[in-house]
Amino acid sequence: MYKFPKGLYVDVRIEETFDTKISFKKLTLQEQKIRNNRGAFIRVFDGRRWYYSSTTDINGIQAQIDALAQMATPNREILEHPIVKAFEVNQETIMEYDAKSVTDIPAQEKQELLESYLTLITDPTIVHHSSFYADNKTVKSIYTSKGTAVTFDKQTCGVRINLELSCGEKKNQTSISKAGVFFEDLLNLEDFFQTELEKNIAFTRDAELVIPGEYPVLLGPEATGVFTHESFGHKSESDFMVGDETMKAEWALGKRIGQSLLTIIDDGTVPGNGYVPYDDEGTKGKKTYIITEGILSGRLHSAATAAQLEESLTGNARAMNFEFEPIVRMTTTYIERGNRPLGDIVTEMENGIYVDTVKHGSGMSTFTLAPDRAYRIENGQIAGPVNVSVVTGNVFSALAEVDAVSEEFELMSFVGGGCGKMEQWPLPVGFGGPYVRVRKLKVQ
Amino acid sequence: MKQESITIREKETAAKIQNTHINAVRTKDITKKGVRVFADGNIGISGAIGDVAEEKLVENAIQNLSVGIEYPYPISRDRKDHRSYNDNPMTAGELLSITESILETLRKEYPDFDFSETISANEIMTEMRNSEGLDLKYEDAHYSLGLILKEKKSANLFDGILMCVGCRFDMDKFWAFNRPYLEAYRNRVALPEGEVLPVFTMEPDNLMSFLNRSLNGERFATGSSIFSGKMGEQLFNEKVTLEQNRNPLHQPGAFFDMEGVVLPEDRHVLIESGKLVSVFTDKKNAHLYNLPHTGSASGAYDGMPSLTTVPLRFRTDSKDLKGALKGQPAILTVISSGGDFTPDGSFAAPVQVGFLFDGERIIGRLPEFTMRSHISKMLGEDYIGTFDNTVFYIGDLPTQVQGYYMTIMK
Repeated sequence: MYKFPKGLYVDVRIEETFDTKISFKKLTLQEQKIRNNRGAFIRVFDGRRWYYSSTTDINGIQAQIDALAQMATPNREILEHPIVKAFEVNQETIMEYDAKSVTDIPAQEKQELLESYLTLITDPTIVHHSSFYADNKTVKSIYTSKGTAVTFDKQTCGVRINLELSCGEKKNQTSISKAGVFFEDLLNLEDFFQTELEKNIAFTRDAELVIPGEYPVLLGPEATGVFTHESFGHKSESDFMVGDETMKAEWALGKRIGQSLLTIIDDGTVPGNGYVPYDDEGTKGKKTYIITEGILSGRLHSAATAAQLEESLTGNARAMNFEFEPIVRMTTTYIERGNRPLGDIVTEMENGIYVDTVKHGSGMSTFTLAPDRAYRIENGQIAGPVNVSVVTGNVFSALAEVDAVSEEFELMSFVGGGCGKMEQWPLPVGFGGPYVRVRKLKVQ
Repeated sequence: MKQESITIREKETAAKIQNTHINAVRTKDITKKGVRVFADGNIGISGAIGDVAEEKLVENAIQNLSVGIEYPYPISRDRKDHRSYNDNPMTAGELLSITESILETLRKEYPDFDFSETISANEIMTEMRNSEGLDLKYEDAHYSLGLILKEKKSANLFDGILMCVGCRFDMDKFWAFNRPYLEAYRNRVALPEGEVLPVFTMEPDNLMSFLNRSLNGERFATGSSIFSGKMGEQLFNEKVTLEQNRNPLHQPGAFFDMEGVVLPEDRHVLIESGKLVSVFTDKKNAHLYNLPHTGSASGAYDGMPSLTTVPLRFRTDSKDLKGALKGQPAILTVISSGGDFTPDGSFAAPVQVGFLFDGERIIGRLPEFTMRSHISKMLGEDYIGTFDNTVFYIGDLPTQVQGYYMTIMK
């Protein structure tokens, strides 16, 4: 298909995307947009340095390969280079979404679905709202000079309603979102949206400012997802470890990180935002146990980091889109289901905070969660709502503070937003998990 | 039928850095085109990336008219304004040469640190033209240095950042600032005594985001802004003046909004001497809510004009940063990630990287801490001022430093 220059490793990633966006302000249609785009990212490696090019000229890919090759220095031993040796060679076509493709659903049907949920918004506390339906179907093809030729598709769709609430002097801005992989996943969600609307109205009306301090914190599945992602997920991305002896020692496999009730998994095979049947350098998607029963048991890799740390590939080289190179990223990352009923966990808490939903999070040495809805826990029961700016904890100690994991469990996908890592934001990822109790976190 | 087109072209050469060496070189040249058509009070839109014929985009936009999205507002017209802010962009060769030089010095003088991420040279062209005589063009070029810094003995993902953005890179100024800055990383110091301390920042992202949400005309009019019903009221300290600012010399970006509106002097005052005097609007929301139109439309190249956020900038109101401290030790925040305002204006944020400084010199790195305040205090009784940044060299754009007294929690 392409003429790959001798003495160099080359890969080509072609992305064809279909996107729909239908948006409303209150009940007035604002936009109905359908995008069909194509682009490619080309990489050339000479064993010393990578050369990348991003282009929208699909017919000019060979010229781009040749131009990058001119910048590189041919290397007779390129196939023996540890990174090049690490690349899998796969040849497969996986088209999971041709049968129920969002490309086949008329835009009018998508619009009517969104409008049907907007009719639920009647309470005067909601002074304004905007909303959108969005879907994406992407077909990726990856070809490498080692012989990989894979083509696969992925698909997501979802509805998001942004709410502006006002109750006297009390203001709130929040959103309700539901996503799936098939259009039918978004049907018949009236009960979900109604319940969420009622929770947000009550929260706006009744929330009081939290008394700052250290509390035991119960995290709901969404908050657990963000907590897992921010407190530990980024630490498991091994590009931070390359060439860094301190990090290698700190995060040595086999080290105890948490109690035995804690198992954390990254799984690229889960349908949804983090679905990666092949990663963006052609490695097959995998399920990786990064913490097993409290013990550090794995980390996430691209071919380069796997080769440099002499570990196995995990299929975590992902790019935000065709304009960027793949770097080590999470897929769907979650704490495994526990064995304790939620009710029992709450009953044990005399004075704590329950974080239900989250606006955003971050994870450096201190991780943060900015709660959307949070509640006091008093005498073993979830009590009144509280406004919390931020919940913080130390990434080195927080996982050891997890002392209860529920049997209730939910994985979720969203529309809008995603994970940020340096210049590549937002990348869709999946997360969620069980209800998790952390013995002590700072609440502001 | 009236017709409007938007073209954005972005060119980039980027050196990707790992372990203080260039690991990769990336080139990019992407064109995005959007077309809008207007007929019978409706708008149709289309767009594509790459080399797509304009006729095809017009055809798609005409089809989109049938969706029936109303846009009964006069489109901008009869204005030609072409501006180029940097006719001498950094070449790929210059970029790599500068990068190699910086990395060589870092490897030699700072072997206890690892540096990674990106140094890039970017060119941008944004053009908006329509059938009514509008012809706007913005061309600019910048280099951007963003290196994350990690102490080799640290188990953190990263410990700090070196930043520099501008038109012309000045190696002497870069090292004159960054050598003492990196030395300060090596010098661990304790937080000053006291519960309330002066805190300065160059990038008050949380504050700007909260003000953007609160000054949005649609939110203001519908009652969900903390400022709703307070037009004309004294909200903040009399020193505080905040404006929508589209001057590319202050913040890189097109000088016109996504409805082709150019503001007088590229700016519009929203808060003047602490008093709320305006909120920002696009054509639609100005009409819907009977508010002054402030040329604040945003949106994608192929999307509908919409009202989201605008580039905000405080007017410099203070001089002599050192004098303002009156000898009191102060904190400079460099990385404060993950904090937020609650809807009622309370603010809390962890500071992952902060420095002790005396108004002129960065003295040493502080341990992590959390800071807390409220919007009305930060820009009210606890506001110190907004200063031209003459202390910290982060490029040749006219940046600012802003300070407030904050409650500090260790």
